Amino acid sequence: MGLVNTPPLSAQDDAALLALVKRGDEQAMATLFDRYSKVVYSVALRVLRDPASAEDILQEVFMQVWRSPDGFVATRGSLGGWLAVVARNRSIDALRRKKPMDQVEDMALAAPFNLANEAERNNMMERARGIIIKLPVEQRKTLEMAFFDGLTHSEIAEMTGDPLGTVKTRIRSALTTLRKAFQA
Amino acid sequence: MSATRHIEREDLALFAMQLLPKDEHALIAAHVAQCAECGQALAEVQGDLAVYAHTVDMHSPPAQAKERLMKQVAREKKTVPVERVATPPLEFVGRSEGTYRTGLGSGAYLAEEEPKRNWAAKVFPWVGWAVAAAVAVVAGNLYHERDALLSRMTAQAGRLDQVSADAAAAKQVMEAMTDPAAKHVTLTKAPSTPTPPVPQGRATYVAEKGTLIFLASNMEPLQPYKTYELWLIPADGRDPIPAGTFHPDERGNASVILPPLPKGIEAKAFGVTVEDEGGSQTPTMPIIMAGN
Repeated sequence: MGLVNTPPLSAQDDAALLALVKRGDEQAMATLFDRYSKVVYSVALRVLRDPASAEDILQEVFMQVWRSPDGFVATRGSLGGWLAVVARNRSIDALRRKKPMDQVEDMALAAPFNLANEAERNNMMERARGIIIKLPVEQRKTLEMAFFDGLTHSEIAEMTGDPLGTVKTRIRSALTTLRKAFQA
Repeated sequence: MSATRHIEREDLALFAMQLLPKDEHALIAAHVAQCAECGQALAEVQGDLAVYAHTVDMHSPPAQAKERLMKQVAREKKTVPVERVATPPLEFVGRSEGTYRTGLGSGAYLAEEEPKRNWAAKVFPWVGWAVAAAVAVVAGNLYHERDALLSRMTAQAGRLDQVSADAAAAKQVMEAMTDPAAKHVTLTKAPSTPTPPVPQGRATYVAEKGTLIFLASNMEPLQPYKTYELWLIPADGRDPIPAGTFHPDERGNASVILPPLPKGIEAKAFGVTVEDEGGSQTPTMPIIMAGN
């Protein structure tokens, strides 16, 4: 049959695992969980600061993968990146007790990294952390307040006393610096 | 916000983080849906945010989280559930109508006055219940066995599909590489930049089958959000046909294997351009590599 040559699930790429998930393969689902649960849980925990709530988000995000794997077409970007962003958005929604806004199909994501590869993922994380830590403190704090605390630019401006335009520019500058550093 | 006026990156970042008021969010969503440039810019911002999300301190989820998820996954199986074997209502010969219609534990039978019965009459009803219980246990076991088998079959079918697809692709690659009708083209960088090592590409193309294999080496790294794109330039003067995007690895090697191409198009030449991530339908000048 040749099945002996099939790579183990842990070595398969996201697209192959999603195809198996679509057919109801629970082991493939478990492999995706092993691959990405840490980042999904960590993002949710950072936003919600409550392990039980973060675990609920973890469950919700992965059940979404199980229920509609078609929403994650490989060409639309990296599954790991997508899950991290969705975990953040769902956590902010939970924080604000809002209905989820993001639709899987509506979110394309350009990611130059293969986050399915653990070594590449860890390397990217380390580099990104190194870049963020070197940002001017105002930029770093502003981006953190917007992304992880879900504060609008008006709320940040009110809290910091900075003009609205400055808040927006700081967020953009921080993200631009991050991108340029990866281009270097 | 019009279709002609693009959205500022500042606003795209706030939009991506869902931090704008509903009306502004809706306006930008409508614009992005019809503006490819802003759609691409938004995808880049989402990519930046995904990278930023990964800077968070990492914590492993609680040990029972996976178990909890897998239980929920099992509850929402995608296989067609096997119908449970229905246990018929039990009625016993020789009993008056209505007896045992109510369940044990309902207490209904306690109100009945026990009629005088012989030994067989006392034992016989319990034999019936024992048989019913045995049937239910066997049926339950069969159901679970069938369910597990279905799950295993589904998983195996998925793997088999993938293996078959891989084998078919490998066969196609071999046929293309060894086909005597194949056209072999070497693409080299324009000689104006003689800096060694010179980027080089080799295309193997079978027009009749629309099969193309492109292998490149010494390719220069690209900025993130940029990609190389290969073009098939038809001999009949038609517009260049996009033949796949590629990114070189850290050693400068890259490949495009069996991109979806129409069959029967004779190639005049092949070219490579640098495009925005995601590729383009028309080549962006300059053509950095070409060969015929």
